This record gives sequence, C-alpha cells and structure tokens, in this order.
Amino acid sequence: MFSDDFKKRLRVKIYELFLADGRCPKLEKLAAALDCDLSDVTTATKQLADAHVLVLQPQSGEILMANPLSAVPTAFVVETFGKAGPRSWYGNCIWDALGVIAMLRSDGRVLTSCACCGEGMTVSVKGDAVVSEPAGLVHFAIPARRWWDDIVFN
Amino acid sequence: MLLFRSEEHIDRWCSAWKLGRGATLTVEQTWRLADSWYRDRLSPDWRRRTVDEAHELFRSLGLVSDFWRLN
Repeated sequence: MFSDDFKKRLRVKIYELFLADGRCPKLEKLAAALDCDLSDVTTATKQLADAHVLVLQPQSGEILMANPLSAVPTAFVVETFGKAGPRSWYGNCIWDALGVIAMLRSDGRVLTSCACCGEGMTVSVKGDAVVSEPAGLVHFAIPARRWWDDIVFN
Repeated sequence: MLLFRSEEHIDRWCSAWKLGRGATLTVEQTWRLADSWYRDRLSPDWRRRTVDEAHELFRSLGLVSDFWRLN
C-alpha cells in the first residue's frame, strides 16, 4: 500500500498534466514526471481506482476517467472559454461534462445529442446561468447505491 | 446520466433498454449538482466525500428520495 502522500501527488499530477496537455497522461509519463518506477504508478493508480478516485481501462490499465474528464472520446464534448483561450475536453456523461466547466471555473458549453433520437443539443454555461438548446432533461437511470457497479455504463 | 429532449424521449430510451425510470433532473439542477460535486476537484487537498457528506450535498440540492441514497 502506497502512502497517502504519494497517491495525493500522483492524483494532482494526473490533473496537472491532463490540463496542460489537453489529453490524459499515460502511466509512463506520470512515472517520469514523479521520478519513480512505472510499477509504482501502476500499483498506486490501481489503489486509487479501488478507492473510486479514478477509473482505469480494463486491458491496458491506463486511466480511462479522471472524473469529470474522460481520457477517450465520448458523446459529451466540452468546450471551455477560460483566460488561456478555448479548450476542448470529453466528459463521461452530462453530469461530468458540466462538471468539467465547474472544475475549470470558466464559461463553457457541452455539445451532445439526445440519447433517444440523436438530435443535436448544446448546454451552455455563462457565469452561473445554464441554458439547453433545445430544451432538455437529464435522466439518471441507475440509483446512487449502484453507480459503481458498472461505472462505464452509468 | 444522459440528456434527452423530453419526458417522452426518456420513456422511449428506458423502454428500448428495458430499464425502469430513474431520476429526472432539469438541466439547471444538473448544473448545480455538477458545480457542487466538482468545483473543488483540482484542489491538492481534495478527497472523496464520505457517504454522509454526499448525502448532505444531495439534500442541499433537494435530492432526498431513496434513489439518491448511497447505502
């Protein structure tokens, strides 16, 4: 079991590199950035995943979700308009996509579509005002106590 | 957690996936949930909320039904 301090530094580095590079860091890059062995990062990321802090890809063990960010393309494209200019991200779901905007404390918008019919939808956040065009509703299919049973489906 | 155009579209999706209806939030409610849940995620001192803390957050947003219970 790695120390809480190491896992904290790892978690901070994951988000730091994700935001700097615009894509999720590979485990090798994290090991180099933290000046430690790849096996240390591999084991510690598994421990963070077991604690529901991260979600890992099932085959490679690379990071799949550093919530609210997704490491892989999804149906929830997030554009943020911060001081550094426009940036683009993927959210894991509509909650997480809006969470990216909240986490970065910027204005932004989510480009997605109706999960039923595929009609394009945009949810825009400006200040604390949020608008969906066309109007929409968010559906949570799985009760909270079962969210982590299958977090990818959820 | 998916976005739909209307209640009717949610019903159609649930039927196609053979799932019962879950919880439905407005986009405004979902934004407030996302803001409360994620605004501190970049803090170096961030930690997962305890179950009680998560329940309190849900309660503060009016999400008090059994659907939102984590245990």
